[in-house]
Amino acid sequence: MPILEVKNVSVSFGGQMIINDVSFALEKGESLAIIGPNGSGKTTLLKAILNSIKYSGEIIKTGAKIGYVPQKIDIERNLPLTVKEFFSLFRAKKFDENYTDNSVLDLVGFGQEYANKKFSELSAGEFQRILIAAAVLSKPNLLLFDEPTASVDVAGQETVYELLHRLQTKENIALILISHDLSVVYRYASNVLCLNHSRVCYGAPREILTPEELKNLYGGDHNYYQH
Amino acid sequence: MELILPILISGTAIAIATGYLGSFALLRRMALVGDALSHVALPGIALGLMFHFNVLIGSLAFLILSVIIIWVVEHKTKLNVDTLVGVLFTLALAIGAVLSSGEELLDSLFGDIGKITNVDFWVILISSIVIVLALLILTRKLLLNMISKDIAFSLGMKPHIIELLFLLIFALTVAIGIKFIGALLMGALIIIPAATARNLAHNFKNYAVISVLMGVISVNFGIIIASFYNLDTGPVIVILASTFFFLSIFFQKR
Repeated sequence: MPILEVKNVSVSFGGQMIINDVSFALEKGESLAIIGPNGSGKTTLLKAILNSIKYSGEIIKTGAKIGYVPQKIDIERNLPLTVKEFFSLFRAKKFDENYTDNSVLDLVGFGQEYANKKFSELSAGEFQRILIAAAVLSKPNLLLFDEPTASVDVAGQETVYELLHRLQTKENIALILISHDLSVVYRYASNVLCLNHSRVCYGAPREILTPEELKNLYGGDHNYYQH
Repeated sequence: MELILPILISGTAIAIATGYLGSFALLRRMALVGDALSHVALPGIALGLMFHFNVLIGSLAFLILSVIIIWVVEHKTKLNVDTLVGVLFTLALAIGAVLSSGEELLDSLFGDIGKITNVDFWVILISSIVIVLALLILTRKLLLNMISKDIAFSLGMKPHIIELLFLLIFALTVAIGIKFIGALLMGALIIIPAATARNLAHNFKNYAVISVLMGVISVNFGIIIASFYNLDTGPVIVILASTFFFLSIFFQKR
């Protein structure tokens, strides 16, 4: 039984079709990367899965406990809140079902002193990693990541990649990852969904990340730059 | 002087409720909602006076009706909330003013805590307890909803319902606040202590506690000073609270 099934989902807003008849399934422990140009509906698709916007079609979650890491721009940051207090908001009722504050901080590469930092004094990159820590705190089995390394520096990115790898192999967590970083997609995704309002392609990274498919998705000429 | 103790007790109860509610309202950028909502209570008060039922109940009924209307307009229609609120609320104020007169009108604008009845006293006390308990229970949901609605959804919460519950608690707080300090200055009890606490606190727990403390201190000292110098209680409380606010700006840690 897949942990998530998306069947013929469409979302329109103000007369515009943002997502058009998209379908896919995700098994436990699998990771799906969603790639596509800006404005193609990737974040909207996540919001439909979260049930925070209206959609037509079916989204079936079976035994899914969700953790969500939004893009940092969607968050109200100007609050008198410490990291520790922020984490306490995510704790599941049964105490032993969660990671401790120190272990999630460690997971994203921070020391214990970060627990007492104020929300508003974190840098953009630090904030992104705290959001990731909070999302995994209650040990979800389906993680939705919207551009997890968008504002993170190179050293921080390594930590995030290590975390993604660990989540995949050891914890058997299902992952949906929106990313523009194709090397991340190549390394960590079992499958890739190309989205440009509708499903343009779907398959293993090896098949999808070719110049022909990318041209089809993004338009224009594309080359690989290895880094 | 014998009447002062019930006034101090009910004042403290209201200060705790408004201080605590205000701490959330300020963060949600709803600082001026208390002010706007207080206008809506006036027709309820006026009708209560005309038809001789308890004005607190009358104003509460109108307040609850208004917040439900606002919530429905905001979440179920595409109408512009600001404009609608602006028109409705000033209309309510005008209707209230037309229906009441003279001293009754002044009482509802500036509060008449000196005339507090036994029933009013217990209604205020119980309402304050209900407000504080409700906010305590909803703290986690309110904060998450504030930070990111999508994160709230991811954790299985329903932001629209949280919003409605908050508005209803707000309505109850405004109802008892108006009885105490009147419709004109009611908003101040919600905004000022929280604004002072915002300057002084560095985590949420301290912020909420300081907001309540600032409210309680302003109210108690305000009542005592006003009674001593034979001044109107409401304005004295607000001047005191504002003084604390301006002082807090100097003591702000950067």
